[in-house]
Amino acid sequence: MYKTEIRGPLVLGDKTYGRISQDITAPIDRRAPVWWKAAMAVSLLAATFGVIAMYVTVRYGIGTWNVNNSVAWGWEIINFVWWIGIGHAGTAFSIFLLILRQKWRTSINRAAEAMTVFAVMCAAIYPAIHMGRVWLAFYIFPYPNTRGPLWVNFNSPLFWDFIAISAYLLISASFWYFGMVPDFATIRDKTTSKFKKAIYGFFAFGWTGSSKEWLRYEALSYVLGGIAAVLVVSVHSIVSTDFASSVIPGWHATLFPPYFVVGAIFSGFAMVMTLMIIIRKAYSFQDYITDSHLNAIAKILIFVSLIMGTAYGTEVFMSWYSGNEYEMFTFFKNRITGDYSFQFWAMVTCNAIIPQLFWFKKVRKNLTIAFIISLIINVGMWYERFNIVVTSLAKDYLPSSWTTYSPTWVEIGLYIGTLGIFGIGVLFFFKFIPMIAISEVKGVLNAGKTVHKQH
Amino acid sequence: METKFTLNQRYKIICFGLIIIGIAAFVYGYLTNPTEAWANLLLNNYYFLSIAIGASFFMALQYITQSGWSAMFKRVPEAMSSFIPVAAIVMLLIFFGMDHLYHWAHHGAAETDPVIAHKAPYLNIPFFFIRIVIYFSLWMVLTHLLRKFSIQEDLEGGLKYFEKSELYSKIYIFLLGFTFSLASFDWIMSLDVHWFSNIFALKMFVTGFYHGVAMLALIVILLHERGHYKELNSSHMMDFSRYIFMLSILWGYFFFAQFMLIWFSNIPEETIYYAKMWNNGWKALFYVNIVLNWFLPFMILMSKKADRNRQIVKWVAIILIFGQWIDMYIHIFPAITITPVFGFIEIGAFLGFAGLFALVFGYTLSKAAMIPANHPYLEESLYHHVE
Repeated sequence: MYKTEIRGPLVLGDKTYGRISQDITAPIDRRAPVWWKAAMAVSLLAATFGVIAMYVTVRYGIGTWNVNNSVAWGWEIINFVWWIGIGHAGTAFSIFLLILRQKWRTSINRAAEAMTVFAVMCAAIYPAIHMGRVWLAFYIFPYPNTRGPLWVNFNSPLFWDFIAISAYLLISASFWYFGMVPDFATIRDKTTSKFKKAIYGFFAFGWTGSSKEWLRYEALSYVLGGIAAVLVVSVHSIVSTDFASSVIPGWHATLFPPYFVVGAIFSGFAMVMTLMIIIRKAYSFQDYITDSHLNAIAKILIFVSLIMGTAYGTEVFMSWYSGNEYEMFTFFKNRITGDYSFQFWAMVTCNAIIPQLFWFKKVRKNLTIAFIISLIINVGMWYERFNIVVTSLAKDYLPSSWTTYSPTWVEIGLYIGTLGIFGIGVLFFFKFIPMIAISEVKGVLNAGKTVHKQH
Repeated sequence: METKFTLNQRYKIICFGLIIIGIAAFVYGYLTNPTEAWANLLLNNYYFLSIAIGASFFMALQYITQSGWSAMFKRVPEAMSSFIPVAAIVMLLIFFGMDHLYHWAHHGAAETDPVIAHKAPYLNIPFFFIRIVIYFSLWMVLTHLLRKFSIQEDLEGGLKYFEKSELYSKIYIFLLGFTFSLASFDWIMSLDVHWFSNIFALKMFVTGFYHGVAMLALIVILLHERGHYKELNSSHMMDFSRYIFMLSILWGYFFFAQFMLIWFSNIPEETIYYAKMWNNGWKALFYVNIVLNWFLPFMILMSKKADRNRQIVKWVAIILIFGQWIDMYIHIFPAITITPVFGFIEIGAFLGFAGLFALVFGYTLSKAAMIPANHPYLEESLYHHVE
């Protein structure tokens, strides 16, 4: 009953099941193309820079950063929130679209989930390194210990954060991995190389594809999906309480939890769009990642962008409505105008205004423009976090401790380093894992077709 | 099979009877305790307006998400949203009760209170009513257009009206986000003129959507039990349950987000709102609110068997009718009275509005075929099946 003429096709061309497996696993058997090697080299270089910055931080301490008593949180927290945000779309795609029975998710969920795992790993680096003595990071685990009866502060949102993120990483990684098991088995059965057969065979857990296995597989997907759906909301809500449970003007806002979740989904979807356009272009997957897939992502992005715009508007309006002089100062004198007005307006332009171009069909169809907009959104989301973290801290209640903040090379290095690590992860994913969920795409191959081609 | 819903004599008599009870309750209240009477008028009007808005949002959402399962009964949310013009008239009547309801509307309030003076450019009587006119005109125009396209689609067929509906649904949702936010600030939040919370608008919107969907499910089930919508099956029930379940979580989430952040930060201007709710006999309602609107729907609909069962979904929707009332009550009354009040005025006013809503709904529903003839997703909806 799937009406292709209204909803758009899911898989183009007259594909057979065998052809799908062949198309999607082809990049794994081929030698890595030149662009892949070049991108890998750049990513490695960036990651090396990051490692050096990490070394400097650990060797000489947090003093190598420009954070100070007033602006105690700088780029590291901005980047942490930014990466966690990007790490949301994978699960959002897989679970929410699964629950909403959006069949177009099948070509996209694998890449989105992969991205989630790498992004969350990048995010996790920041809090660890921000502790200063990273070798004592295990103190954050609440367990009966020999350090006197010393416990973590259970009242602290920072501790809730740690719990939420580790749970999220665990569940989203399992969800992603178990989703890949049938596809690993497909590669194991198709490949001619003995080495690959052994490796992929190991990861395929001896999958044979019997109906009983599929039944259990589906039950597991639903259970993990159900847990992940809760986590995807809770993680960023809890990240938002890092700010919102304080009494700092511009941070203490009851809107923060949903506003952070939506923002995270926004940046995550934008990153999915970036990646899907790259995959489609680089591996010629036009038949699987069709125009209607990208069209759907673009439409979600407009919708979310409107929510973001409404949230920005609500915040500014409320700061005036509250009549609270500190709130008004933060928004009107230190965001809309003042030292950081560039960052504020960059946020509004990139997140609320430019994505509105997706209202035009021509823009949605033009992949170059769509690609640029998807990057702009992620820049905008970075500025949003900058706005929240830095502006509120730089000028708070006490004018004598007002200050400004700009990063040192070490802080920039850490950021570039995580970009590199993310790049390496994604490139490995391109090379060694089927980028599209083979078995799921097969499941929707005949959607909307009344006559089956093969039985 | 009847293709149209007929408004029989009995239905009309009951509706008019309820409306008369409502008028009697309001008049009685107006003579004995006018503040309470106006508060009830606001509460019930907002109650049914938010349900109508929720239903219209549901309808628009079906278009923009390309959802097929609901196509069969889309005339029901259409008819529910026809209450919006009636609510507009009642909302304008609030003009005569401004002095009773809104502290900021008191003569001279701005002179003694700097916070009210600060808000005066926004919170003043002329602008308040200008905004009411703007909100309602936008909502009325767009819901009317969506209804018109839907009826023309029946007559002419083709995808033209479907595509138009898609476009206007987007515009409607866009405008609704802004206007309903401000409307909830105006009508409900400004009752406590010193207090503010920026999740408030979103919370009120979700509450309306939540209870709108529950009411929609209830109405569709009742129509099914009276011989309409024979194709309604357990898959439809499951989809209704999913909406209710998801929205109960969302309701609980927003409730908790607002409460926890205000409680945790403990800033006096903000905690006063909950301090009131935790004293003078309101506390029980505070918890009843959570139980009815989050705990029960969440627990009951969690099981896979329960969420396909028509009777269970029906009873959850009935619980939510009470839940929505309690929720609105606890949003409005602590600002009006010191201790909770409940009596003939409350019951009568609710029944009166229920009668009015049912009458407007039934009248609109009887104007067009129950099942839209040329909707492109109609077949998906009639033979809806989910694993």
